[in-house]
Amino acid sequence: MAAETTAGKTERINLLKVLGPVHVWALGVGIVLVGEYMGWNFSVQKGGAYGSLIACLFIGLLYTCVAMIDSEVTSTVAAAGGQYAQAKHIVGPLMAFNVGLYLVLAYTMLEAADALVVGDLMATVAGQTGHDGLDPRPFVVFTVAILAWLNYRGVFMTLTVNFVITAIAFFALVVLLIGVKPWNPGEILMHSELLTDLPYGWIGVVAALQFGMWYYLGIEGTCQAAEEVRSAGRSIPLGTMSGMITLLIAAIITWYMAVGLMPWEYLGQTFLPMYDAAVLTDNTFLIVVLFIGTIFSAIASANGCINDASRAWFSMGRDRYLPIWFAAVHPRYRTPYRAILFLVPVAIAFGFTGLLDQVITFSILSGLLGYTFMSLNMMAFRRKWPLGSIKRGYIHPFHPLPALSLLVLCAATYFATFLGYGASLLAIMAFFIVASVWFHFHRYKFVRRADQFTMPWPKPKGY
Amino acid sequence: MENFWDILTWGAWIGAAALLLWMILDAIRVNREYSEELLISSREGADELLEADKKGGK
Amino acid sequence: MAKKRYQPPTQAGIGQFFDSIFIMALVFSSLYLSLKYEDLKAFLGFGGGEQAAGDAAASAAAVTWESLGQNPTMQAQWEKLGYTVDSAAEIINAKFDYSIDPVALIVTAVVVIGYFVFLFKVSDKEYRDVIGEKFDN
Repeated sequence: MAAETTAGKTERINLLKVLGPVHVWALGVGIVLVGEYMGWNFSVQKGGAYGSLIACLFIGLLYTCVAMIDSEVTSTVAAAGGQYAQAKHIVGPLMAFNVGLYLVLAYTMLEAADALVVGDLMATVAGQTGHDGLDPRPFVVFTVAILAWLNYRGVFMTLTVNFVITAIAFFALVVLLIGVKPWNPGEILMHSELLTDLPYGWIGVVAALQFGMWYYLGIEGTCQAAEEVRSAGRSIPLGTMSGMITLLIAAIITWYMAVGLMPWEYLGQTFLPMYDAAVLTDNTFLIVVLFIGTIFSAIASANGCINDASRAWFSMGRDRYLPIWFAAVHPRYRTPYRAILFLVPVAIAFGFTGLLDQVITFSILSGLLGYTFMSLNMMAFRRKWPLGSIKRGYIHPFHPLPALSLLVLCAATYFATFLGYGASLLAIMAFFIVASVWFHFHRYKFVRRADQFTMPWPKPKGY
Repeated sequence: MENFWDILTWGAWIGAAALLLWMILDAIRVNREYSEELLISSREGADELLEADKKGGK
Repeated sequence: MAKKRYQPPTQAGIGQFFDSIFIMALVFSSLYLSLKYEDLKAFLGFGGGEQAAGDAAASAAAVTWESLGQNPTMQAQWEKLGYTVDSAAEIINAKFDYSIDPVALIVTAVVVIGYFVFLFKVSDKEYRDVIGEKFDN
């Protein structure tokens, strides 16, 4: 499509506004659903089966707060940077720079982990069909390359594909649920024999909160689509809330099936809990379905991550928080193509450093820092622009309760991370502190002050 | 079966290389065909800007 | 009257390139740092809730499904997943130790809270400039 050509010097190319609520759902759920196929079960290791369930419900509450808060702010700040643009308008530049980094790093690292899952699954299947020692690397690189290509060629196709494969991955879980015959306990599901008391007591439940985040981690990524969604004020809240409901359902059936099939000690350390669950049913059809579900969920997640990370990187470039070079939009496909390209080798490097544990912890913690920001941001938003002072597409109820509960749950999750991953927590904090100092003393001098504030809002209260 | 996995492995390497090469070449072509000014002309909150432009009678 | 607008310098290509490389180099060094930190932490005795190695060696001689607290159903599932009593024992005996080092906890809390206080303070200073330039002209 040709550029907007109006008279004079206002010739501009912007991102395309083509997405609907379905794409928002696909982006949010697509990124997260892989967490149901793997990752959440490490919370079982930290707190036992019931500990994981309690964590799942508490963290579900956290994310419901996240979804409500995000819906309100995004329905007002409809920009590709998502939370980054929110921070820029509501808290200030340094916060925005940090939030932008949380987004880019959390998503790019998750993308690397997803691509590794695809590679490992290929190697596993090759092993099972008699070809041992398959090199997973070409499949990792291919996954990243084809998804980057899809993203490069346009957001509509990217997220339409994501909708299809995410829906298939979700239905794979439902098929497994039917396959394990929950109406006939004792035949396949053996909850009464497999469930135990809390192995570590309540401290284990708190510790489990850390990996309980996997059930929903990334749903807030729906905001990154804001600049490409038609009537964002309506579509984003709709897509995000329906995504959150989908994930709550998926989380509970996932937990229910897995703990009815595996002893908690095994479940707590396996890398492919749902695939293992299918193997335990002895049903070839279910094994194939869950294999497809696992691969699709990983691909959907990587795809959504490329979309979100590149939008955040692009937005930071556009404001010169990062080099302006990254702010280019492809004249034909209308995508942030340089940001997409730049993050390809970065994602591959994350995958190939052999530091997967560190990468995943970094990714989760970046998410957690982002949620802490959202809670504080919400309070600042309502203070600086009270209800009625600007047009909001959606107003979440019970303010400030959701923001405060989010803050409390974040504090509990920092504590959970401290239990077992205290050192990584400090190393990551060191990174953000150094990056902040670098931004304040070096990068910020390239930023045009007033130009960052793009929303047609009145002056904030108290300034 | 041996052959199948070998072909798949090579296919993945070649496919990845081809896709990456295509993107790089396309990016270079775009850089040459369009001015940098146009490429980085996107603005946040463009909706409002466009409306303002229209109201401005452009 | 209108204040003078801040005019940023334009960054040359080479500077842009170095800045992009710098931020990525910083990410990778902190990843390595957290790896190296494991050693440092062991040296300082830092952190809380480490995963204790199971003392499988000590109990290896006498390990049975019953001594691991596994009932027949659990045993059947382990075996179906391809584990023997010995290989399962390694997993089952690897337990977390959630004893908390108060100094480490306080240091961590101070770092996290301090980080956010620092961010909000500096951001607010920069934000006042932005608002001033945007609305006072």
